[in-house]
Amino acid sequence: MSTFFKLEVKDTDLLSCIQSFLQSLLSSGKMDALLVPGHLPMNNNVMPTLISDPEHLNHADPLAPSFPVNAAKIASRLTRQPSGQTIGLVLRPCEIRAFVELIKLKQGTLDDIVLISLDCLGAYTNKDYAAFSKDDPIGATKAFVEHVLDQKQSEKDLMAPACRVCEYPVSGQADIRIGLYGMEWKNQIAVETGTTKGEDVLEALSLEKITEPSARKQVVEKLISERISLRDKMFEETSQATSSIEKLSSYLSRCVNCYNCRVACPVCYCRECVFVTDVFDHDPYQYLKWARHKGEIKMPTDTIFFHLTRMAHIGLTCVGCGQCSNACPNDIPLMELFRTTAHNVQKAFEYEPGRQVEEPIPLSVFEVEEYEDVVGIARHSG
Amino acid sequence: MRKKIGTAMVVGAGISGIRSALDLAESGYQVTLVDKAPHIGGILSQLDYQFPNDRCGMCKMLPLIERDASSQYCLRKGLFHENIQTILSAKLTAVEGEPGNFTATIEQTPGCIDPGLCIGCAECAAVCPVEVPDAFNMNLSTRKAVYLPVPHNIPNTYVVDLTHCTRCGECLKACPTGAIKFPEERRKDFHILVVDDELIVRDSLKEWLDDEGFSVNMADSGASALKMLSENDYQLMLTDIKMPGMDGVELMKQAQQDHPGLTIVMMTAYATVETAIEAMKAGALDYLLKPFDPGTFTPKILEIYQAMDVTETRDIQTHALIISTGTGSFDPVQSKNTFGYGIYPDVVTSREFERILSGTGPCQGKIQRRSDQEEIKKIAWFQCVGSRDLQIKADFCSSVCCMHAVKEARLAVEKYGGNDKQGLETAIFYMDMRAFGKTFHQYRQEAEDKYHVRFERSRIHSVVEELKTGGLRISYLDEKGNRKEEHFDMIVLSTGQKARPDSGELAKMLDLDLNPWGFCLPQPFSTSRSSMEGIFLGGSFTGMTDISESVIQAGSAALDASRFIHSKGGSLSAEPSDEPVIYRDVSRELPQVLVMICACSQVGFPDLDEALLKKDLIKDPAVSDVVFKENACTASGWDDLVDTARTSSANRIIIGACLPYAYTKKVRELALKINLHPSLIHVTDIRTLSHNNTASSNGPDITAHMKAQIKRGLSKVKRMDPPEQFSIPSVQKALIVGGGIAGMAAAAAIADHGFEVNLIEQSEKPGGNLKWIPRTIDGQDVSAFLKEMQVQIEKNPLINVHTQSSVISSFGHPGHFITTIQNMETDAPQTFEHGAAIIATGGSEAKTSSYGHGQSPAVVTHKELDEGLKEGTLDPTNLETVVMIQCVDSREASKKNYCSRICCISSLKHALNLKEKNPEMDIYIFYRDIMAYGFFETYYTQARQKDIIFIQYDLQNKPEVEVEDSRVAISAIEPILNQRIEIHPDLLVLATGISPALPDELADHFGVRKDTFGFFEEADAKWRPVDALKEGVFACGLCHSPRNITETIASAQASAQRALRILGSSRLNKSSNVATVHQSLCSLCERCIEACPYHARFIDPDTKKVAVDPIMCQGCGACAAVCPNSASSLADFKDQQVFDMIDSIF
Repeated sequence: MSTFFKLEVKDTDLLSCIQSFLQSLLSSGKMDALLVPGHLPMNNNVMPTLISDPEHLNHADPLAPSFPVNAAKIASRLTRQPSGQTIGLVLRPCEIRAFVELIKLKQGTLDDIVLISLDCLGAYTNKDYAAFSKDDPIGATKAFVEHVLDQKQSEKDLMAPACRVCEYPVSGQADIRIGLYGMEWKNQIAVETGTTKGEDVLEALSLEKITEPSARKQVVEKLISERISLRDKMFEETSQATSSIEKLSSYLSRCVNCYNCRVACPVCYCRECVFVTDVFDHDPYQYLKWARHKGEIKMPTDTIFFHLTRMAHIGLTCVGCGQCSNACPNDIPLMELFRTTAHNVQKAFEYEPGRQVEEPIPLSVFEVEEYEDVVGIARHSG
Repeated sequence: MRKKIGTAMVVGAGISGIRSALDLAESGYQVTLVDKAPHIGGILSQLDYQFPNDRCGMCKMLPLIERDASSQYCLRKGLFHENIQTILSAKLTAVEGEPGNFTATIEQTPGCIDPGLCIGCAECAAVCPVEVPDAFNMNLSTRKAVYLPVPHNIPNTYVVDLTHCTRCGECLKACPTGAIKFPEERRKDFHILVVDDELIVRDSLKEWLDDEGFSVNMADSGASALKMLSENDYQLMLTDIKMPGMDGVELMKQAQQDHPGLTIVMMTAYATVETAIEAMKAGALDYLLKPFDPGTFTPKILEIYQAMDVTETRDIQTHALIISTGTGSFDPVQSKNTFGYGIYPDVVTSREFERILSGTGPCQGKIQRRSDQEEIKKIAWFQCVGSRDLQIKADFCSSVCCMHAVKEARLAVEKYGGNDKQGLETAIFYMDMRAFGKTFHQYRQEAEDKYHVRFERSRIHSVVEELKTGGLRISYLDEKGNRKEEHFDMIVLSTGQKARPDSGELAKMLDLDLNPWGFCLPQPFSTSRSSMEGIFLGGSFTGMTDISESVIQAGSAALDASRFIHSKGGSLSAEPSDEPVIYRDVSRELPQVLVMICACSQVGFPDLDEALLKKDLIKDPAVSDVVFKENACTASGWDDLVDTARTSSANRIIIGACLPYAYTKKVRELALKINLHPSLIHVTDIRTLSHNNTASSNGPDITAHMKAQIKRGLSKVKRMDPPEQFSIPSVQKALIVGGGIAGMAAAAAIADHGFEVNLIEQSEKPGGNLKWIPRTIDGQDVSAFLKEMQVQIEKNPLINVHTQSSVISSFGHPGHFITTIQNMETDAPQTFEHGAAIIATGGSEAKTSSYGHGQSPAVVTHKELDEGLKEGTLDPTNLETVVMIQCVDSREASKKNYCSRICCISSLKHALNLKEKNPEMDIYIFYRDIMAYGFFETYYTQARQKDIIFIQYDLQNKPEVEVEDSRVAISAIEPILNQRIEIHPDLLVLATGISPALPDELADHFGVRKDTFGFFEEADAKWRPVDALKEGVFACGLCHSPRNITETIASAQASAQRALRILGSSRLNKSSNVATVHQSLCSLCERCIEACPYHARFIDPDTKKVAVDPIMCQGCGACAAVCPNSASSLADFKDQQVFDMIDSIF
């Protein structure tokens, strides 16, 4: 049973409210540093920053619709070996979910970590955010918050495709959740304990306990159901667009093997990708042999193979954060393709990535009886 | 692979023979494996799926240590091991000499097709005009007279069935390689004497036999026949019975005296059939019924000729023999009630049904009514056909049919029952469902619950065909004695064992004892020791067992043979040293492949464009040269090839030839000669065409075909890294936990091979349960046997017994474990190093509080009964009525949900003993299913004959027991009377079953898993029955599964045998195909560790990196499959190799 505490919003300045809450967390002595998105002093770009001085939290901005990297990988980097200190990680729900998957893959740990999550308002693509925030980043954040929480329709909705179809706007795994949906956000918001670890931290802050804001549940449920119907439409369209190997080739034809998507992907965890090892270091003789065999081959080769391999590797763990699309220099709608594939794989194994650290990734579990239609005795058909 | 001077011959290459042969071969003995069939595998070659997992898995029997010495593919297809010579289509005909120095005579029947030339192209079968029933498919389909005996065999050489072959010669013309040659010439040397007083008979017989190519002479009377016999050598005499003067029988008797090698066949009219049968008893082979016609006469003579015709007789010197020739199967036609078998096509035997289910079977795995091809909706199984039947003198249980039927029913439902498994109705009609193995009861329950198989305790009356609707109507008596009728589409008869007709002959030749039913009788407390020294028994030659028990007994037989050979000095090494060879280091050289293609002048490839092939292959910069050779299979051809390899600087070699599996040994020799590791030398098959390949060996496509084949080999060899040569020292000592009979038998077995054993026992003295069991059901003195074993253990200087001790820690890997024990009295710890461990912690009679146990001295368990009788507190003469209840707390969902296997036999033993001591005593036994498996059935029969009353109960109607002071009352429903009865016995005996004693801690120390019942979990219940999944750890006795004393000893010897494979060498060599980790790529996600089924991977505590134990790794590739960036890879299957291979195909 979670407990809610009140955070007062002064002058409708939600960002300041959150900044001062984060300051109180860092000053409480419960944690030694906070990882939080913040405006970089030199050019106002938003990037994850690791802050140990509470003063520096005055340019933290977890509300900005900027999502340059999925910080799960950074979280993994911070926790692969024990640091002896406690870190608070302010992450989006999809970042937490990816981090949970990385923990299962022994790439990180929850020891000495407090997971803090805001209700996710979504984000723009890197290009769109740069254009949107150019003159006044703080004002841009404010405008964005109003746009989302007051559902003000602007002429052009810049929301990234991944965020539009995301059915996880609220984190299920955070130790501390900062609620935004279904609140009187201009006056007050609520912060909620997700775990006993979070409770331990929040109880020490002497905040005022309140009951769960009454509208919240309904608002969140409605949001999720809208997103799911958009998502399913997206699945349908993407399936259609990639239903044959020819269509898939065409879908991916702009790929230049830059591997940006793989670098951006939070659950692509290999130290070195197999595609840059000598496995794919073909002999010149080989290329010529293929060319001779087929009359013509596209260069670079192995582009579809690369994406199919990635699909096989991350199908179960893909959290749908959309960083692959964000990173693609040639605007290939990779998120749509990967989420669609991943959804089917995850459904088949009744697996939901990021749901729980204790839930094993299906491929590491041996079931004697599983997929009898594939591996069992051939049934007589007809 | 180490080689010892010891040799063994295993007769019979069924599953048991294969296991024994592999066990001995892995220990380094040279083994000759003989089978009379043209293939290995026995019955199992016909069975596709086995319970409990309804799959195959026979390959799990392949060697785990020194894997390179053996073929590593489907064992049903074939087995090639360095130390095993397989002789097929052959028979053991004589054994001379003395134990430890036998000369065994093997006669091999002729084949017309040269296996060296046959490429399996099937051209011969396509043109063959003869269609005959296919025995592989239990005669449910037909084959040609030239055919493949087993469709999936390797090598798959066609065979000519000379009995049915018409000699039309079409196949000779069709064969592209000239592989077929008929043995007609030999028939001229087969002399037949026809004796008949009627000229017309003589003339026509001579004409028919001349046509077949035999040498025939005629005699018109007994006297002239005898004269001719003395003048010339004859192999066969056909003689009429009724002749003037000397009659046929008299002639036979005289001829037999003077010419003992002569085969005699009587010819008779119907009137003298009785005489003919008498003549057969006196030594005639057979009789032929007049009048003759060539259609029946000629095949009969040909059959006789085939049986006698031998091309090759070999004498093989061997230290020991294992006889595992198997069992025959009952023919329902011989039954008193045939259930319509042989008349109604929809009545089949269980073996036939196995073929019907098979994808390679007569129906390609589809089932339909054989009578009218209608859909099958209902199938019935009838149990005990040919078993448990006094009328046909089959007073035994065939042990396997119950589970066989359950498996078949489950498979049928799985295959044809649809997703909800409701689409096919199955019913098993049985007397007792003998699911007596550890997991069998659970498997049976699943059949009921998940597969909706109906189990009907009943007696079948009759089967008749439904003329209007098709299908069959059966009539049976149900449990309560009511007569019922039911319709089925198919009936499967669970036919049991029947001693093979030649078992008697074999037993006579080897001087072995047979039991009353014609099966071989092993020595007391052994499944494998025969009455003859140096000759051991395996498999169903001693009665049918399921696969797992058969594999265990085969291991036990191998152990006995090995122990015997060792005692005769056969363990000495044949090679001076088992230090590994160091090959030339080519790891830093670019691959340079020398391709040598055998262009085979014997057959020739006239259409092969050598220049084009060479031009194409040499394009690959890794190919240094392509040369064409002749006759690599001959000695001179091979020498030439070796010379070329020697002068070449290439660091990889491909040999394009036929029959690559035949080259394993040659490749190793070549490797030594040119100092190049054998895994860098690859033989690729350029001859055998796949079945779907339309290219004939001489067509225009031959160049392309050969190119593709060589490129496939090239892809493997080119990217092959020279394997790291690695071996670890092995500690040649064993540690055995548990000093019951299992531990003692295993210790003795290992110590008898000269290796030290530490035997850890928690009590004050070894002996375990044998301390309280006085006798077995067959009257063997257990106490005396125990004493003998205890003395043997005490006297053996190699066995160190540590009593009152228990294991407190153990770790390590095969070849090197470190185990610490603690003495419970002194607390003193002691640490041992050992190469293998055997867990034999046993079990005990389960405790109970059911049925008033503990409330009255009149309610006892089996053990308490034995103790009471021994101490005299129970006097049989004072007991008027005794009741026994079986399955106490057993075979119930929330209790011990397994059958303890020994309790029914125990109760029968006690009941018969009590009855003997006090014939007036009334004995009632309440049972669910009497598990009198195998030859124990006869004691069940005896018990019933002695008026011991058996009352069946089920879980819904358990007997109710009331105890008041010393008075016990039992009330139960008697199912046949369908009335409640009440008995007031003087004694109530409870069969409480067995509880295993395998503490969790101990299991953890040795990396052993326990099953849901607390018994040891086998690496594989069928194929590796005494192995833990962790190599080097084995189990036997009651902690493994419920078993009687003899079965316990068999399991102990089998586990000792498994341990000896490891203990036999001072160093263990890494096999070439093992997994490795590229540390620079590894992300330490540990998925490979989770995926490894052999516990071969771990995080090295020092380096904090993933490490692989190369001895435990079995090269299965699970780690490589889960690793996303190939940081984990398998030596012979690296990504580049596999990509290249795919490329070479498409």
